[in-house]
Amino acid sequence: MSLTNASNATTAPRPMIQTAVRDASADETLPVADLKPKLRVSKLNFYYGGFHALKNVTLDIAERKVTAFIGPSGCGKSTLLRTFNRMYSLYPEQRAEGEILMDGENLITTKQDVSLIRARIGMVFQKPTPFPMSIYDNIAFGVRLFERLSRREMDERVESALGRAALWNEVKDKLSQSGQSLSGGQQQRLCIARGIAIKPEVLLLDEPCSALDPISTAKVEELIHELKSDYTVVIVTHNMQQAARVSDYTAYMYLGELIEYDITDTIFITPKKSQTEDYITGRFG
Amino acid sequence: MGVTEHISKQFEADLDTTRTRVLQMGGLVEAQILAAIQAFATGDAALVAQVIENDARVNGYEVAIDGACNHIVVKRQPAASDLRLIMAISKIVTDLERIGDEAEKIARMSKRIHEQGAHHAQRFPAIRHAAQIAVKNLRQALDAFARLDAASAAEVLKEDSAIDDEFRSVLRQLITYMMEDPRTISASLDTVWVAKAIERIGDHAKNIAEQVIYIVKGTDVRHTSFADIERELSKE
Amino acid sequence: MSAAEQVPSAIHSGNRLYRERKRTNFILLVISGVAIGFGLFWLVWILGTLLYEGGHALARATLYYQMTPPPGADGGLANAIAGSLVMVAAGTLIGTPVGILAGTYLAEYGRHGWLAGATRFLNDVLLSAPSIVIGLFVYSVYVAKVKHFSAWAGALALAMIVVPVVVRTTDDMLKLVPNTLREAAMALGCPVWKMITSITYKAARVGILTGVLLAVARISGETAPLLFTALNNQFWSTNMNAPMANLPVVIFQFAMSPYEDWHRLAWGGAALITLAVLVLNILARALFRKSD
Repeated sequence: MSLTNASNATTAPRPMIQTAVRDASADETLPVADLKPKLRVSKLNFYYGGFHALKNVTLDIAERKVTAFIGPSGCGKSTLLRTFNRMYSLYPEQRAEGEILMDGENLITTKQDVSLIRARIGMVFQKPTPFPMSIYDNIAFGVRLFERLSRREMDERVESALGRAALWNEVKDKLSQSGQSLSGGQQQRLCIARGIAIKPEVLLLDEPCSALDPISTAKVEELIHELKSDYTVVIVTHNMQQAARVSDYTAYMYLGELIEYDITDTIFITPKKSQTEDYITGRFG
Repeated sequence: MGVTEHISKQFEADLDTTRTRVLQMGGLVEAQILAAIQAFATGDAALVAQVIENDARVNGYEVAIDGACNHIVVKRQPAASDLRLIMAISKIVTDLERIGDEAEKIARMSKRIHEQGAHHAQRFPAIRHAAQIAVKNLRQALDAFARLDAASAAEVLKEDSAIDDEFRSVLRQLITYMMEDPRTISASLDTVWVAKAIERIGDHAKNIAEQVIYIVKGTDVRHTSFADIERELSKE
Repeated sequence: MSAAEQVPSAIHSGNRLYRERKRTNFILLVISGVAIGFGLFWLVWILGTLLYEGGHALARATLYYQMTPPPGADGGLANAIAGSLVMVAAGTLIGTPVGILAGTYLAEYGRHGWLAGATRFLNDVLLSAPSIVIGLFVYSVYVAKVKHFSAWAGALALAMIVVPVVVRTTDDMLKLVPNTLREAAMALGCPVWKMITSITYKAARVGILTGVLLAVARISGETAPLLFTALNNQFWSTNMNAPMANLPVVIFQFAMSPYEDWHRLAWGGAALITLAVLVLNILARALFRKSD
């Protein structure tokens, strides 16, 4: 170690003992009953017209942790995610009843403008959705909605967002190119960068890797891991291994009901409900 | 374990085959112990040779089952009870292989003891008694594994202390014996090794039983007092 | 498995169903080819005749700077060309914003209401309405009231043809923009108007522009609406409140006449409009292809 230069020394892995100490303190994944909630969902019901899509869902989403929703298609996991930023309000035939508390305010009944809620709760979609504009403007677009920044401040914001999304090195020389010219994986990271550029508190990811190749998926997963130091992340995924890899808490849903919600390791090693067991071991159906 | 089968028939078949192989290996190991104890009692040289020869088969089972576990992990990324089953099997085969080694050791010792003086071994009914309990425990642990019966596995944990008691009693007898007649020290020490081997077999059977409880209940009961285990098992 | 293996495979070139299918395919291919030939034959004939008859007039520079002449005198179509350009431009400028805004309402705001459905239906009716009806309508509500023909009336009639075309293409093109893009913008806390102007218009701009170009191509050859509104003018005029010369009406008038030199100018004008429409169509197509 003494032979390595200073910059190498800072990136060198920490001694094991420190990691162990850190794991035991702030990063500890508390039991579901004791977690520090960012969002408190209680008795949430959701309807698509006459179809009852979520039935009395109650759970707490932990602050600065990754929570995964898993379950078969049509189980309501995406629907639940989309209630958090009131995405359903775009469609008159969809409605929600119940409570989603963030900082003591019920997001469903609040008089607050939905735009403000959505700015605080960012979302990334299944298919990459770069806007038809330059890479730079893709990031700046959302920022300009709420902040008036000088050119230099905006440059810094764009760089830091792209940097956090692990995309800066790949696009720094072509910021004026169209965002749609990037590869699928890059587009998805651009969308994540766009989401975090406006500094939301919660980040919702709706199957963010389902259209990506394994390398891009690994990059996005690594990014999710990085993001949780600043954001509360909620991810919907069809890929159970992905849920096991990236999340701290996992909720298993089936037919609009929350079947089991626990620490991810518990769900994947010793689930309590046989329904959960059957699904994650591939005995379903 | 799940009542329903896996969607993947191949996965189901792979798990079944592996489980069956573990039971076959268990059966072989059990036969090895019985043969070794028989050799200890009779000094049958042919039996000794057979035990030593068969240990290679035991080792072969271990390698093959470990390979099958790796295959399943890579191919299926098992979760929940499947994960626990694979992890437990991987540990159970290690215990079974060690039991096989102990059986081989007993056989080798028996040969030496009988070469030194024929009647020595017969004086220790406690050894044969301990061996019977060890074999019974192993059989019960494997049976619990086959039927995924946590309660039956828990009984094995309780029974293990009986083997330990027998081992201490054999040790006491041998010490007295050696003090009375120092010419038997050499044979007596070899007999201690046999008793120790049986005691180790009991420990391995206990480990297997603990793994069965882990598969079924998901609780790791290693290094836990029996009272705590019973409390854990009574929870539902 | 073994039972299935014993049955010989039906997949071979002698299979009856396979051969019937191939024969049907061949017959349909021949019929389609004949139909294409039939269509192209007339098109080529029309274009050929136009170029043959009008090519001479097109090549003469006087066509572009001399006024329409009295019978027997030498002249060109300058006033008609200019008049057409002015009225087409005015019609497009009036019709396009209305069309785009109405199309935006249909695709973005009115999706879930009954009003959008009704509007869309009526727009389709307007889209297929004969242009002479529109000419008569403008005549009765505007020309007849002010008691004189005018370029404004002509532009208005043309605008009424532009509107349904642009409404339809804007509506269609905006609906082609994936909804996820809208949701993505809304998810950033973006208001709807901002989402439309910055995101969906940008995503659909090529399609919308193509629609406008097609509308321009459509109105540049319309005779009927101008006959009742702008009428005609022998002289150079820039007064929008007065009758104005324009290519289609001049062509109509000259072609109906018994004079040989007027006929030549009519052919030249017809060839000019056809070429202009052709260029606009090619431009629209090229633009649309580039965006894919």
